[in-house]
Amino acid sequence: MLQYVTLTIDGSRVRATKGTSVLDAAIEYGICIPHLCHVPVLSDTGACRLCIVEHVKNGSSKITTSCTLNVQEGMIINSNTEKVVKLRRNIAELMVAEAPNSRAIQDIAVRCGVKDVRYPFRNNNCIQCGRCVRYCTQFWRANALGFVGRGKERHVDYPLGSRPDFCKNCGSCTLYCPMSVTPCDGPMKRGEERLCGKCESQLSMSVGFPGACVKCELGKGFQCARQA
Amino acid sequence: MVKIKHSGDLEALRITLEDERGNYRSKITICGGTGCQASRSLAVIEAVKKEITRQYLEKDVLVRSTGCHGFCEQGPIMVIEPGNLFYCHVVPEDAREIVSKTLLKGEVIERLLYTDPVSGRKIRTEVEIPFYQAQDRQLLAYNKLVDPCLIEDYISVGGYASIAKTLAGIDPETVIEEVRASGLRGRGGGGFPTGTKWTECWEAPGDEKYVVCNADEGDPGAYMDRCLLEANPHLVIEGMMIGAWAVGADHGYIYVRKEYPLAVKHARIAVQQARKYGLLGNNILGSSFSFDIDIARGGGAFVCGESTALMASLEGKVGEPRPKDIHTVKSGLWDKPTVLNNVETWANVPFIILNGSRWFASKGTKSSKGTKILALTGQVKNTGLVEVAMGTSLRTIVFDIGGGSKTGNAVKAVQTGGPSGGCLPVGKFDLPIDFDALTKAGSMMGSGGMVVMDEGTCMVDVAKYFLNFLQDESCGKCVPCRIGVDRMLEIITDITEGRGRPEQISLLEELAETVSEGSLCALGKTAPNPVLSTLRYFYDEYIAHVEKKRCPAGVCKSLINYTIHPEKCEGCGICIRACPHNAVRGEKKKAHVINLLECRKCGICVTECKFDAIMVG
Repeated sequence: MLQYVTLTIDGSRVRATKGTSVLDAAIEYGICIPHLCHVPVLSDTGACRLCIVEHVKNGSSKITTSCTLNVQEGMIINSNTEKVVKLRRNIAELMVAEAPNSRAIQDIAVRCGVKDVRYPFRNNNCIQCGRCVRYCTQFWRANALGFVGRGKERHVDYPLGSRPDFCKNCGSCTLYCPMSVTPCDGPMKRGEERLCGKCESQLSMSVGFPGACVKCELGKGFQCARQA
Repeated sequence: MVKIKHSGDLEALRITLEDERGNYRSKITICGGTGCQASRSLAVIEAVKKEITRQYLEKDVLVRSTGCHGFCEQGPIMVIEPGNLFYCHVVPEDAREIVSKTLLKGEVIERLLYTDPVSGRKIRTEVEIPFYQAQDRQLLAYNKLVDPCLIEDYISVGGYASIAKTLAGIDPETVIEEVRASGLRGRGGGGFPTGTKWTECWEAPGDEKYVVCNADEGDPGAYMDRCLLEANPHLVIEGMMIGAWAVGADHGYIYVRKEYPLAVKHARIAVQQARKYGLLGNNILGSSFSFDIDIARGGGAFVCGESTALMASLEGKVGEPRPKDIHTVKSGLWDKPTVLNNVETWANVPFIILNGSRWFASKGTKSSKGTKILALTGQVKNTGLVEVAMGTSLRTIVFDIGGGSKTGNAVKAVQTGGPSGGCLPVGKFDLPIDFDALTKAGSMMGSGGMVVMDEGTCMVDVAKYFLNFLQDESCGKCVPCRIGVDRMLEIITDITEGRGRPEQISLLEELAETVSEGSLCALGKTAPNPVLSTLRYFYDEYIAHVEKKRCPAGVCKSLINYTIHPEKCEGCGICIRACPHNAVRGEKKKAHVINLLECRKCGICVTECKFDAIMVG
């Protein structure tokens, strides 16, 4: 039998199945917390840090990722406080400066309120969200992809550097990769990167409801668009 | 070897061993720690032993190779009892003289005595040395009494009495209560109350529990865990046994980084010896308690010092931290309740059980109890391992124990807590060594690294150094730490290379806050501390770099130029010969000139010039 807990997200009382994450509970009720590395069927690692929320407990609040936080009875979550919004904006700014050549990341940046990018663009072709790696290892149990190296050198690669037999070319890794969605105006060349910001006009509809999902295909967030 | 089946047998063995050791007329203790080994202490030990055999003194003189004495820069160190005579910088060739003069005739060899760099006088005994005088050595005191490769030495000084006392009739609740009452806090950096951690693990459901000793010490310039594990591994093992008894664990791991080969070796020997005596294994000391320890070697990743990353590494996975929304005391190693403590924390436990929590809590401040081992390094006269009671001021450590600045320049700041710590200026030197006081001041206790910096240090450059280290050592899992620290380094490099813009300072500050709030693990959360603390206390240096394009300390190469003072220069030509890039021109007896286009700013001319004629600025 399913057990339920009641919690408060952004002031609204929400009922969720015991064992689900705060992020899943929020999405179910249409409270859109931006996220990138979260994929519904996979376990969460808390790598992209976009889904951070404030967890109020015993009078003090703690910043934590909602995807790794499980729902508990009576817990109070704020996903849109000034602090969280600012942190999320800065994280999204870091991401879009690192990998501007993705509509998904450009979209996330705009939705998180990034107005201009204060860092030089780098135009990397991987943001290391780990969606491909986790899909390959957890869903297919193929283990054909993994992270290699650490720090700046960390990158996604085949084990031992070459494509193994057990990779069946299923293409899930590309399907789940945010970098495979190119910006509306086509890929940006090196030196021409910019913050796209085209869907910002659609974003203005949500003024006054900062937590609500923007009603556009892009604005629904990366995961929503891909899963539809 | 007989297995010890009862605590009475242990006491009997201790008395026998103590008598054996008391029969010697004198004892020579030579440091065999990594620091002293690097200055040939093994050869010294061998030479002394050979000389003693040659003079038929084996039955009169005990030669003991011990772990680190703490005063590593004076190594190899030799202490001769009775008389507490302290010799430093001993070389193997001194062995004959030491045996025939000091041991046989009682004469003191002046040449080998320690010279106090502050007063300039020679000091005969160890206790009189200012470096040791201002300390309060509780854990380190045993280092010189024990040969780390001999369990008998440890038993003879009262070792394993604490676990015997525990198993003889203290129940787990009382042990935990005692640790909680002592106010012991985690020595690895976090400062989490050990008693609370143990209680949570004890309460966690499950039969299978683990205790882990974190000896993956990676802070640059810090080596207290290495020293403890190298010099007295049995103390750590005993602490882990008590912890395991308290929380109900039957297996433990010591996770040592592989760059500490001596610590790995000594820990392995210690575990084997303890097993032989029946102090590890089934039914320890005739009780129902069974416990064993395995040694795991880390691959040398800084991030594996973080508890969840360490556990992942122990499980054979990639050493990356995981979110701690469920604590490791509930679901840690192999998803079982796990207590992970630092080497120093474990080493404190036997003393708390043996002497009581009140004894332990009698030292220290309101929120931090006991003593703390610090690694004092940098621009001070005396460097080495220092153990002080909590609450001792930074000033006492830097000036009384450290002897003040080595270079003659005034002391400018001290960096506490390793790469994730912060820099505190001289104005803050009255701060006590206390978890909360240091955190409040923008730094942290960390594992206890303490790097002293003088006026010749550029604080922006220091922040850059630590960011570089952290950027290299970040596991790369989460965005704020991987990209954020890299971007901070990018901005700081811009500043030190003269491309800094005023708005970058506020961006740096904002980014530092983002990284510290948004990162996944404690490593990322504390990564911006070097930047935040230097921005807080040395803001004017950042301004000088950005607005005036000037490095006040004369360190950042892009912002300085070397010029020769025409009046001070005597035209001796030394700098012309010394310059590797042929950038100095000039005739004899006439003032020389540096060609700025060819100068690579290596600074060799400054050190070579005898007339202080070369100006940096």
